[in-house]
Amino acid sequence: MMTLDPKIPPGPLETKWDRRRFSEKLVSPNNKRKITVIVVGTGLAGASAASTLGQLGYQVECFCFQDSPRRAHSIAAQGGINAAKNYQDDGDSVARLFYDTIKGGDFRSREANVYRLAQVSAQIIDQCVALGVPFAREYGGQLANRSFGGVQVSRTFYCRGQTGQQLLLGAYSALCWQVERGQVTMHPRTEMLDLVTVDGKARGIVARDLVTGRLSIHTAHAVVLATGGYSNVYYLSTNASGSNVTATYRVWKQGAAFANPCFTQIHPTAIPPGGAHQAKLTLMSESLRNDGRLWVPTMRADHRCPGDIPDGERDYFLERRYPRFGNLVPRDLASRAVKAVCDESRGVGPGGQGVYLDFSDVIAQQGSDVIRERYGNLFDMYQRITGEDAYHAPMRIYPAPHYAMGGLWVDYNLMSTIPGLFVIGEANFADHGANRLGASSLMQGLADGYFILPYTIGHYLATAKLTPVGEDHQESRSAFQRVTSRISRLLSVKGRRTAASFHREVGQLLWNHCGMSRNEEGLTSALTSIPALREEFWRDVMVPGSGAAFNQELEYAGRVADYLEFAELLCHDALHREESCGAHFREEYQTDDGEPQRDDSRFSHVAAWEYREDTSPVLHKEPLAFEFVQPTTRSYQ
Amino acid sequence: MALSGLGLVIYVIFHMLGNFQVFEGPLALNAYAALLRDMPILLWAARIGLLSLAVLHVVLAIQLTLRNRRARPIAYAVREYRQASFASRTMATSGVVLLLFIIVHLLHLTVGVIDPSSVDRLDVEGHRDVYGKLVHAFQNPFIVAFYLAGQLGLGLHLSHAVTSSFQTLGLEQAAFNRLLKAAGPGVALLVVLGNVAIILAVFLGIVRG
Amino acid sequence: MKFTLNIWRQKGPDEHGRFVSYEARDVSSGTSFLEMLDSVNQGLIAKGEEPVAFEQDCREGICGSCSLVINGIPHGPDRGITTCQLYMRRFPDGAVITIEPWRARAFPIIKDLVVDRRALDRIMQAGGYISVHTGGAVDGNVLLISKDQAETAMDAASCIGCGACVAACKNASPALFVGAKVSHLELLPQGKPERTNRVKAMLEAVDREGFGSCGNQNECEAVCPKRISVRFIAILNREYLRAGVVESGLPAEPESPHAEST
Repeated sequence: MMTLDPKIPPGPLETKWDRRRFSEKLVSPNNKRKITVIVVGTGLAGASAASTLGQLGYQVECFCFQDSPRRAHSIAAQGGINAAKNYQDDGDSVARLFYDTIKGGDFRSREANVYRLAQVSAQIIDQCVALGVPFAREYGGQLANRSFGGVQVSRTFYCRGQTGQQLLLGAYSALCWQVERGQVTMHPRTEMLDLVTVDGKARGIVARDLVTGRLSIHTAHAVVLATGGYSNVYYLSTNASGSNVTATYRVWKQGAAFANPCFTQIHPTAIPPGGAHQAKLTLMSESLRNDGRLWVPTMRADHRCPGDIPDGERDYFLERRYPRFGNLVPRDLASRAVKAVCDESRGVGPGGQGVYLDFSDVIAQQGSDVIRERYGNLFDMYQRITGEDAYHAPMRIYPAPHYAMGGLWVDYNLMSTIPGLFVIGEANFADHGANRLGASSLMQGLADGYFILPYTIGHYLATAKLTPVGEDHQESRSAFQRVTSRISRLLSVKGRRTAASFHREVGQLLWNHCGMSRNEEGLTSALTSIPALREEFWRDVMVPGSGAAFNQELEYAGRVADYLEFAELLCHDALHREESCGAHFREEYQTDDGEPQRDDSRFSHVAAWEYREDTSPVLHKEPLAFEFVQPTTRSYQ
Repeated sequence: MALSGLGLVIYVIFHMLGNFQVFEGPLALNAYAALLRDMPILLWAARIGLLSLAVLHVVLAIQLTLRNRRARPIAYAVREYRQASFASRTMATSGVVLLLFIIVHLLHLTVGVIDPSSVDRLDVEGHRDVYGKLVHAFQNPFIVAFYLAGQLGLGLHLSHAVTSSFQTLGLEQAAFNRLLKAAGPGVALLVVLGNVAIILAVFLGIVRG
Repeated sequence: MKFTLNIWRQKGPDEHGRFVSYEARDVSSGTSFLEMLDSVNQGLIAKGEEPVAFEQDCREGICGSCSLVINGIPHGPDRGITTCQLYMRRFPDGAVITIEPWRARAFPIIKDLVVDRRALDRIMQAGGYISVHTGGAVDGNVLLISKDQAETAMDAASCIGCGACVAACKNASPALFVGAKVSHLELLPQGKPERTNRVKAMLEAVDREGFGSCGNQNECEAVCPKRISVRFIAILNREYLRAGVVESGLPAEPESPHAEST
């Protein structure tokens, strides 16, 4: 029987983390040398955790499927990283960052976790500066800040539009140092495919060397997953094409609870899909909404050029619906409003999937030079991808899956329901509730990796009784066997359809029924279509080549197979949550004017799902107690 | 590579400046030559220094070229350069051309074994008549063509070499970067123009015996 | 649109490779170069043939995975972008396009267009970092860094480690890659304490990996998707010369941390 004990220290919010750190047991330096920790994933969370554990003296085995740890998808984050430094003296504080994050998450996250995140945020900036991250500076030499994502204070630190890259390269350089010292062994181009558990504790992984195809068992005293989010289950997303759910999904099948999978963030301003060939959606910075106005034609299926549509026949739908915030409403509201007008057949561009983001007013007022200076690189990018000049015709944008707030359930110590299996970064569910604020994901990844996990894992390692486990252990062999049989099964189907075609189909299904807005009917129908599609996959997929060599199609097919199962879990969770909160919008639960209706009496909990082999997943609830803040209604009208 | 090269470049510049005395008539040039010969220790020290610089430069060049060839065992089937200048890509070739030219040049005018029709004479002041030898040589169209080709190699080599050596020595400063970049082609142009002026002045009869 | 692709196919590191010609049909001009290859591959898989292996991940020009030499130019004909940001409207209809992998001894081919770039990681591991422990860092504003200095460091730090500089260089030299990292860290006060050892260690690693030497031809700068300037190679050279001078003044053996004072 699965129990969810969040292990939150009692007492005042401000001192919870200090007291927890003091009460934790420590591992003596001599013993650390004899302890091996596996870290899977080398994004912000994984690289910072692996390097810090190495510094502490543990032997770290670090895995990534990319050819280099530096290519993890954290590299693509553009905007910045929040920290409660209050350098601008504009009223920011740990408490305010905490409150903004809790409220932004629509009161579906744990107070204690979020408060700790806000507390360590300031240290992250110092650590990154020490590592040589070239943050933007003022003329006087101090660190520069900007405001981001509609918050009222300037607390975002940035490196041009490449903040994620610079933070990751900082963590990567720390990792390089530990590799050089022999504390960390890197296994690039190696994909984790299963978990080894012994006596219910995580003791190792089975991984495939993607170059030779060789499968190997790696045992350790604890396993850390930092394998990112699952937005690619939608096929088209802003994630890198390699980002996948496989590691988190396969440990779910070994007994780790999966929490709030239906909380998926859809970013409003991506370049719309151009056709069936499309493999990825490109994000355009949210800042464009500061000056651009969103509109669609008032008439349905209006195929006139935007310039030929007079002002009276344009619907500036965000300004109409949200007169106070206009085009600057939060991501989830903007995305849903775009979807609503497209559903009314008023979308523009190929397939009616898009709305105009129009700069003509601001260009008329301030001149195109001002706009060029502000957004020149974004306009160039738009032109390169679409071939259209946004200085003369409005841009077209459409929402795209971007981030997964849901993830593996973890307690306050970042340990999953499998003892010894820790989950950090986007892969866990903890800190963002039902919706993530801009510039918070980088903060969370580095907080987990540099400052939280290294403490909490020590306590586990100091107190757990761990017998030696080798490759020959029965549990190791059985995990190995699971992976082997799965791979040979994939290769033996020899059907007619490519893995990509199944991926596209399941993605489309989810996008339609479990995307920006969901309803019972759609979710129920998805829950019958997905198993049928999965069955077809195992009957008709074509995976060429062999398992004993470099085979990108085999890697991909394995991930698609997991999406085809995970999609079902996503729909179960969305179906269960009969309320609208944050990124999760159930059409049945809205006010008369179309605003989401949260239901704190029934759904103020974390939904943690347990895997069952023969039946539907089983729901466990972790109640969310709000001792320090009072849940309120988000209103932007 | 950069240091030995720069040493050689400095010599090439002085060599040209010295030879400019051809425009001041036979006495000046012959006196200059005699002046150099009057200091045998210095002359031979300079010659040995130059020779060792040249040998060092060539040995390093061979080593680097071999290493660089090894660094790409399979060549591209299609190759297009966008920024690397022709000169920079042909340093090895222009270097070989230059080396051959220098050897022939030394055998011709210094050792005097190439052109037997040229005779060693003394001028009116009793100095060796270097001037006469020069004028004699550059009246021959084949020799002129050969020397012009040599200058082409020299110009090509220098136009990349000088800027490149500044870069290798780490000379980099926003205010001077343009100057540093222009230095290579600039030096190459000046040296080639200077040397070609001497050759053509003789050939076209502006400077006569 | 329709294209003829001459693609380098090579089964494995020790196999012989050759060019194979493929047709890409019904390509719309808004298709990206990699999506065009995707669709060629989908056709191959459906026929049960092995698709062309190539690398990609973020598809927005920042991860540094993609690595194709297109008609003789790393990352293709446009400046300042990676292969994934290249679109087919850039090519005339019916064009013949030759696609090759990065070619360098230090980047052995794994399969088809995929090469092993771990050599770049090993150069970084030799010294491309500041060794500070997690925790205990001073406040970020204690170090004042002028805006210009921070911007120049950022110019250097924007390297994505794709290896196009090596691929483009006639000598397969990674000078721009190394120069960018050495300059980034040298330009910041945090990086100064280790600068002497860093530049030496990184350049020794370059030699071990079998790269060529920099001939200052600047082709790397022309193909760099982040337009990193060759002035950082000059800074690298300067740092190296400086390290040679400084080294003579350093103690030969650092004192053991466990040595007792007597």
